[in-house]
Amino acid sequence: MKKFLAIFLVLALAMTAMAGCGGGAEEPNGNGEAPEDVTTIGFLYIGPVTDGGYNQAQHMGAMAVQEEFGDSVKVLWAENVAEDLQAVKTNAINMIDNGATIVIGTSFGHMDGLEELANEYPDLTFLHFSGYKMNDTNFGNYFGAMEEARYLSGIVAGLTTETNKLGYIAAYPYTEVLIGINSFFLGAKSVNPDVTMNVVYINSWGDAALEQAAAESLLAQNCDVLTQHADTSAAQVAAEKVGAYAVGYNIDNSKVAPGSFLTAPIWHHEAYLVPVIEKIIAGEYVPESYYGTMADGYIGLAPLTDLVSDEAKAEVERVQAEIIAGNYPIFVGPLKDNAGNVVVPEGEAMTAREDIWAMDYVLEGITAMQ
Amino acid sequence: MEPIKAIEMKGICKTFGSVKANEDVDLTVYNGEVHALLGENGAGKSTLVNMLSGIYRQDCGTVSIYGEEVHFSSPKDPIEMGIGMIHQHFKLVDVMTARQNIALGKSKGLFTRNKQLTKEIRSISDQYGLDVDPDKKVYNMSVGEKQTLEIIKVLYRGAKILILDEPTAVLTPQEIRRLFQIIRTMRDQGCAIVIITHKLGEVMEISDRITVLRKGRTIGTVKTSEVQVPSLIEMMVGKKVDLAIKKEKTDQEKKVLLEVDNLHVINSENKTALSGISFDLHAGEILGVAGVAGSGQKEICETIAGLTRADKGRIFFEGENIIGKTPRDIIRLGIRMGFIPEDRLGMGLVGTMDIVHNLILKDYQNQPGIFLRRGPCEAKARSIVERLDIQTPGIHYPVKKLSGGNIQKVLLGREIDSNPKVLITAYPVRGLDIGASYKIYDLLNEQKKNGVGVLFIGEDLDVLMDLCDRVMVFCMGKVTGIVNPDEVTKEQIGLLMTGGKEGLAHDQI
Amino acid sequence: MTRFNIIKRDDLPKKREWIIRTLAILFSLVSAGLVILALGFDPLEVFPGMVTGALGTEIRLTQTILKAIPLIVTSLGILVAFKMNFWNIGGEGQILMGALAAAYVALNVEGLPKPVMLLLMAAAAMVAGGIWAFIPAFFKARMGVNETIFTLMLNYIAIKFVTYLQYGPWKSPESQGFPKVATFPDNATLPKLFGIHIGWVIALILVVLVYIFINHTKKGFEIRVVGESKETARYAGMNISSVIIVAMLISGGLCGLTGMIQASAVEKTLAASLSGGYGFTAIITAWLARLNAIAVLFVCFAFAILLQGGSYIQISMQIPAAVADMLQGIILFFVLGSEFFIQYKIGIVRKNIPQKEVA
Repeated sequence: MKKFLAIFLVLALAMTAMAGCGGGAEEPNGNGEAPEDVTTIGFLYIGPVTDGGYNQAQHMGAMAVQEEFGDSVKVLWAENVAEDLQAVKTNAINMIDNGATIVIGTSFGHMDGLEELANEYPDLTFLHFSGYKMNDTNFGNYFGAMEEARYLSGIVAGLTTETNKLGYIAAYPYTEVLIGINSFFLGAKSVNPDVTMNVVYINSWGDAALEQAAAESLLAQNCDVLTQHADTSAAQVAAEKVGAYAVGYNIDNSKVAPGSFLTAPIWHHEAYLVPVIEKIIAGEYVPESYYGTMADGYIGLAPLTDLVSDEAKAEVERVQAEIIAGNYPIFVGPLKDNAGNVVVPEGEAMTAREDIWAMDYVLEGITAMQ
Repeated sequence: MEPIKAIEMKGICKTFGSVKANEDVDLTVYNGEVHALLGENGAGKSTLVNMLSGIYRQDCGTVSIYGEEVHFSSPKDPIEMGIGMIHQHFKLVDVMTARQNIALGKSKGLFTRNKQLTKEIRSISDQYGLDVDPDKKVYNMSVGEKQTLEIIKVLYRGAKILILDEPTAVLTPQEIRRLFQIIRTMRDQGCAIVIITHKLGEVMEISDRITVLRKGRTIGTVKTSEVQVPSLIEMMVGKKVDLAIKKEKTDQEKKVLLEVDNLHVINSENKTALSGISFDLHAGEILGVAGVAGSGQKEICETIAGLTRADKGRIFFEGENIIGKTPRDIIRLGIRMGFIPEDRLGMGLVGTMDIVHNLILKDYQNQPGIFLRRGPCEAKARSIVERLDIQTPGIHYPVKKLSGGNIQKVLLGREIDSNPKVLITAYPVRGLDIGASYKIYDLLNEQKKNGVGVLFIGEDLDVLMDLCDRVMVFCMGKVTGIVNPDEVTKEQIGLLMTGGKEGLAHDQI
Repeated sequence: MTRFNIIKRDDLPKKREWIIRTLAILFSLVSAGLVILALGFDPLEVFPGMVTGALGTEIRLTQTILKAIPLIVTSLGILVAFKMNFWNIGGEGQILMGALAAAYVALNVEGLPKPVMLLLMAAAAMVAGGIWAFIPAFFKARMGVNETIFTLMLNYIAIKFVTYLQYGPWKSPESQGFPKVATFPDNATLPKLFGIHIGWVIALILVVLVYIFINHTKKGFEIRVVGESKETARYAGMNISSVIIVAMLISGGLCGLTGMIQASAVEKTLAASLSGGYGFTAIITAWLARLNAIAVLFVCFAFAILLQGGSYIQISMQIPAAVADMLQGIILFFVLGSEFFIQYKIGIVRKNIPQKEVA
């Protein structure tokens, strides 16, 4: 027993000795002694920032913030932060220890950890993407009406498909994902009444292998346009291999899979982050539950590639203008879920955010598999 | 003409850590002689021959085979040079036939040619007077047959130099005689034979010359015809030893302590291990058990100790049937068992623990409460170390680091210290040197004098006959006789050990 | 022709052991340093950064201790089994089953005062973890089933079962369909003492208790004897089956308690990711501590320094997560490797044999 105590003592000594050597020149580790006028912001990502999707989009937002504020802001980030309290708090506290005064969690499961931290560190500000919890002083959330862009990308898919079967790879059957599935389908159906759609849930956000397997399974089911609500570009690559098409998500992946990529509903996180961080630094931030729209520039559609027909391009342009103008609701009755229950009656439209965010079904014409 | 030197080892040293196992050892063996390597346990005999069989490499010194200096780096090299080693534990595959075992590891091609192999085996067998049925499966063989097979195996591989490590330990007297016959034939054919043993009678009977080792050094090489047993012992031990085992007759009334009645036991492999055993054990006597290894010795010990379930029959201890009682209950009644297995530690002691904890092993269950009390056992440990003259740096020294004799003293000391009424000891002198063995015999005699009933499971018939008041002979799980050693010969006991049939056949060889 | 052979040794002088250990640490730092350098970071910043990142400030020390707590408790559980030569690789599963039982109590029993609630959760967790370890113990004791594979496989059953509950029947209705079990009520979360949840007090107490149990109680003695030699235990009249079962109930119970501590104090809910690999890491720490309960405390703390230090430099120096993991791996590789060289030696054998003489 003494041996091992001693082993680690030696180890510690060796390291501290090196600390002594290095310490003379300059502070060897950033332990949070940043100058007063620099604001440190910490981003928590659920996956690696090079995933070609969700996390990369988040990180692009963070980098845009860095660029905008230059030397007055220091951005820290942590990859692969799991959706449990332990991982969230460990990483966030290490950031706070490094001087972070703003911590931003970018995955739904980071919510409870941020809520606790907001209570423990009342002087700091916490933002959460995709969640619903907040408080009155230092904890807010933000998200966007992705259904608008999903709907548009659905139009592209609906006019591209030849088999009239779409494939949708989804992470979990929960509200955010269900909204995406239904809006995409409605977009397709608006231009192609015969279209049906198969959905596969992979129960993971960022597992390229699972996404690829799901994509292959959907392609085998004769789906010729795929899209995904998961974090990587695996579906687009899989579609390209067999000459099918794919609508991406999160970022413009036209270069990753030029043979299949049509377009993608994408996030412009900087459109919210830049102004809100400016407010926080100025001390003017009041927690809010931000819901960005296409009109705000927070949500968008990646440029349509040459694979998209002119007909589709014109239709997308037309509807996009209507949505931005605010007179094109997405969920218009009559709508039935795939068990046959009427969810939006004829003559009505579902527009209120809280109604949309109560969605717990997929629509008629959609087949979902776990 | 000067005979050819088959083996010449000169100035051999071998060190393990801080222990010098061999120091400046010389050994020369000529073709056409039987050379005995004699020495107490730990004298360095095994180390020396392990260098000849390529298991160890000497630190210094030279090994020459037929005059050529060699450096073995694996057990395969000596085989190529014609050295064959017969270990105590046979290296045979049970489910294969004799022929398959011989071909094993030797066949160069993909297929074995049965006919030719049989012919080759025949010719070797005829040459040396060996007798094994090539188609007999090993599991059907007796110990003697297995040993013969081992010998054929090494001869088949071209061995001209044969090393036998304690070859007689597992054999009946008849089988030993047969083995010696084979060895003599081989010697006459010009082979060189090294035999390792500590049984002096056998050394005198079979060997031509003897090299004695003591504490890793060569004490000397002598011609067997020119030496007497007492001087050999003096060479081995380094001092004169009184060799007589005392058998004290106690005249007190013989009360029956343990009564075994028609005991049947089926062992874990579903074979009958004991069938219809009946005997009495009296207070103040040593009852010896003789028999070929595996005749039911272990089972009788374990059944009395409550470790093995009896299939049928009863065991009375002071009038009470103890069948069905737990081992703990039986220990509490005062029945103690010390079983020395082949690895010495396996069944009685915990190697990494010290003497104190090994004493606690049989004591703690009588302690009250949930905590372990070391105090009483520390005192006991000290007194046992002192009384039995155990060589140890202290009572808190791991027992596995003690020498074999001291380990066995700890084990026996523990059982004796509990003042048992019945003491069962199995192979208590297994592997012990002469001095230590006599110490153990004295201890057993002392117990006997105190009125303890001692059941003594032994290996060496000479010792059994000298020490025990009565000898019970086991054969295949049956008692073939309970005899008074003063009234029978060794050969008669040997006959009983083989059930009286096979032994007769051997006798006629 | 050259060959190697590996020989066990127990005769190494103390001084040599120390030289080997010191060299191992130096080598580990040098090789890890080269890797760091190759990736464009300065090892003279990274190594001290790991140490100060784990111990430098109160916050960091707290983080380190938070990581040490589950490791210590689990290692103690593993230790009890390993002492008996029972290879309990099922720590992960036992932790999860413990957490599951604690969660069941926390979410279904209402109106209990906090201390009662917590005790009930701990008891439930220990029973559940114990049962999860009892299953392989029973089959080992009665039928001699290999416990290594058995316990390992039970991990996956536990993980999948908890995942199923998290995605299905136990999914919180408040989480918008996100697969998450409901958060524990306040009376089901462990209180804090000096800024850290009282798991640290529990861990310290358990270190002492397990030390006493193993070294000073009859049951502990029986476990050690069974671990050393089953035959000896049998000859001493021990009931081996019962020793195996009792030891595994304790082993699994301690792992289950880890689950309760993590669920109650850290996650405040049940999650399949809650075991966090502690069940496996504890095998390393228990082994490094040479199955000594007191040593477990120090080894686990040292290990937590590695974990927290690694996680800290990721943030402070923006070193990718994979690199930080690699550093931990390199250091561990050398430390474990040095133990191998202390216990075994490798000889190089040169084959050199003259041609067989033709007479």
